[in-house]
Amino acid sequence: MSNGTVHDKMAHEATEMAHEPGMAHEPTVQSATSQGFMAPGLRGKVVLVTGASRGIGRAVALAFAAHGAFVAVNYLSRADLAAAVVDEARRLGGDGMAVQADVRQRHAVARMVAEVVAAAGRIDVVVNNALTNYRFDPKQRQLAWETGWPQVEAQVAASLGAVVHMAEAVLPYMQAQASGRIIHIVSNLVDFPLVPYHDYTAAKAAVVGYSRSLAAEVGRFGITVNCVAPGLTVPTDASRPTKEDVREQVIRLTPMGRLVTPDDVAGAVLFLASDWARMVTGQCLRVDGGLVMRD
Amino acid sequence: MFVAEGRAGWLAAEGVIRLPLWVVPPGVDLTPGRTVAVSLPGSGAGGDAPVRVELVYPEVTPAAMAGLAAAVRKACAASLARLKTAEVVDWIDAAVARWLDPDYLPRQWAERLLPLLTGYDAETVRLELKRLLRTFRRKELWRFLDADFANPDVLDAFRPGPAGGWVRALGPRLLVHYLSGNVPGLSVWSLVMGLLVKAGTIAKPASGEPLMAVLFARTLADIRPDLAGALAVVPWRGGDEAVEAPLLAQADAVVAYGSDQAVAAIARRVPPHARFLRYGHRISFAVIGREALAPDRYADTCHRLADDICVYDQQSCMSPQVVFVERGGAVAPAAFAALLAAEMERYQVRRPRGPVAAEEALAIQSFRGAFAFSGAEGTRVFASTDDTAWTVVYHEEPGFAPTPLNRSVHVHACDDVVTAVEAAAPYRPYLQSVGVAIHPARLFPLAERLAELGVSRIAAVGEMTRAMAGWHHDGRPNLADLVRFVDIEPSAERWAERLDADVEWDGA
Repeated sequence: MSNGTVHDKMAHEATEMAHEPGMAHEPTVQSATSQGFMAPGLRGKVVLVTGASRGIGRAVALAFAAHGAFVAVNYLSRADLAAAVVDEARRLGGDGMAVQADVRQRHAVARMVAEVVAAAGRIDVVVNNALTNYRFDPKQRQLAWETGWPQVEAQVAASLGAVVHMAEAVLPYMQAQASGRIIHIVSNLVDFPLVPYHDYTAAKAAVVGYSRSLAAEVGRFGITVNCVAPGLTVPTDASRPTKEDVREQVIRLTPMGRLVTPDDVAGAVLFLASDWARMVTGQCLRVDGGLVMRD
Repeated sequence: MFVAEGRAGWLAAEGVIRLPLWVVPPGVDLTPGRTVAVSLPGSGAGGDAPVRVELVYPEVTPAAMAGLAAAVRKACAASLARLKTAEVVDWIDAAVARWLDPDYLPRQWAERLLPLLTGYDAETVRLELKRLLRTFRRKELWRFLDADFANPDVLDAFRPGPAGGWVRALGPRLLVHYLSGNVPGLSVWSLVMGLLVKAGTIAKPASGEPLMAVLFARTLADIRPDLAGALAVVPWRGGDEAVEAPLLAQADAVVAYGSDQAVAAIARRVPPHARFLRYGHRISFAVIGREALAPDRYADTCHRLADDICVYDQQSCMSPQVVFVERGGAVAPAAFAALLAAEMERYQVRRPRGPVAAEEALAIQSFRGAFAFSGAEGTRVFASTDDTAWTVVYHEEPGFAPTPLNRSVHVHACDDVVTAVEAAAPYRPYLQSVGVAIHPARLFPLAERLAELGVSRIAAVGEMTRAMAGWHHDGRPNLADLVRFVDIEPSAERWAERLDADVEWDGA
């Protein structure tokens, strides 16, 4: 944290940070290199991030790029945004490619993974971040007695389906390499449903369970499987409808006193993908400023 | 894609929106002049693509201004001035109701364009704009009216006066607003005050925020085309005396917001017959009693205070520049200053401060430097590390001095806040709002002190920048200062009675 330090040197700030007009809400990637350290084992790695054209996925992809990784930027419909992320990845010292796929489609995921391997030669890390179109709108959410199996099934199919398709597609490559990292972005709502989004939370909990059993199976191939569970993350398109009152409620309950940013999530993802976490598997790392504390 | 709103003057073609920055009565024509283009990034949601917006400024000649002023005066006399106050209230309320709908297109434009034009964080603009507009719902408008007039009916007709006789209040036929742009949307406050007294209105928006007054005026004109003639918003080059002379010559009243110099410059050009209301530079501060530093209260107190300081980057005159923090609470003042620093860093992550000019950055650097090396016992400077985003200067003793703003603040420890506020006395002419967090038993003794010091508004910490409807802006009645009262004295009433041939002559 950069705050709270006694200011002992003046004029070390030569110029103000140039704020790009209208970009105030874009996540900023803090270059790890400029802070003097790099997470080990990421340079040159091939990383596939789903849903990486915006929000958390974008921040994760750019953080990998800043560590010298090759990032495959998956997108569903926004080719323009994905291309911009790839450009930015190159500017940050990494490399990358944009790759379209609807991760809810088994064959689309298989094709995407094949494309990445064809282009980059291997696949080392997969970050399952893509979220089916979901609005975190506390005022419009479906109540428990309005949420039937069709809604829950759709979320489970989208969230759990996507990670199962991905595991199916990447495991042959990772097993052959005898190494791999699979990371699932879930949610702290699984532990603390402050706003009960029944379908979404159930689906994310399913991913946590699948993640653990997958970890148990593939550990011996040198593959780790972990989850990152962010709290309410802003700014993202999905969280935009979550308005001030709920945000303030979350902040009040959060020891770190603010909401999560996409960059905060990227830090945890990079840790789990790095050599530092080589003995960590089957875990769920919460990135929510201490809102949920449990084993 | 965006839907263009043809009726209100949006012209859309191939992803380009042309937005004229003026609203004038039907029949008055201004020639489009220079254009400023801004590029709106796509919102990311719903497949919105980037859009080019061209803000079009009008050419304003002295002749056009003379014609405009005459047209507004005439339209006011013929329409707005004849309305009942309740109808005016309905009119404004209808406009505000549209603006309080998140799907209202002009509101969406304002939410997207204002951050680009002002540099303010987009979330702040979105949130504060709707909060401000809620101040002008019908029920709040009546609060404004009732705050200033014992009987608001005097705006409609002669009503019995408290000292006998009858009283009538008339708004200006032509009220000229020089608006400021430090807080987006504050222009609406000024426009609404004028309209409530049925003033024919010509407003000059600030160069830094030319949008909100125009958008709101368009809404009003949309709702009541029959009243549209009495309301104009026109940007012209500030200080262009050739353009302003024919306008000011016809004005009954002029209201000006801005720096002391800017307001003084306008004052020199206002002719003696016109009433001149000025809202110049002001300083606000906060008072944190030990009660607000209890174990279950201190975090919330700090959170609310940081909001007062940081919202709109402290550019509102209602934002505090100095905080008095009392000893004796669970958290000591020095620890509270450190907490405030951490909170301001969190605020920066959540809602980054807008860009500042080089000289503003320099002012913050010298501010930090002055106190980092002041040698005063216990003085500490907390500051953002890589930029000038925020600064907290902690002092062991009470004191009072303005800061360079842009989220920089003095925190003064004191033993008793009620006496410590005396430190503000040298700034008497400038004092405005005070945010307080203090036990009820001490609220009124403190308020008396503050009133004597020259303060005009006392609000809760966390609410400092959101003045309530009916606030006496800078200690003056908003509406009553705009009107001209006309009295029918009892003698005229009595004499009139005698002139009725059928009245019995009592010989008195």
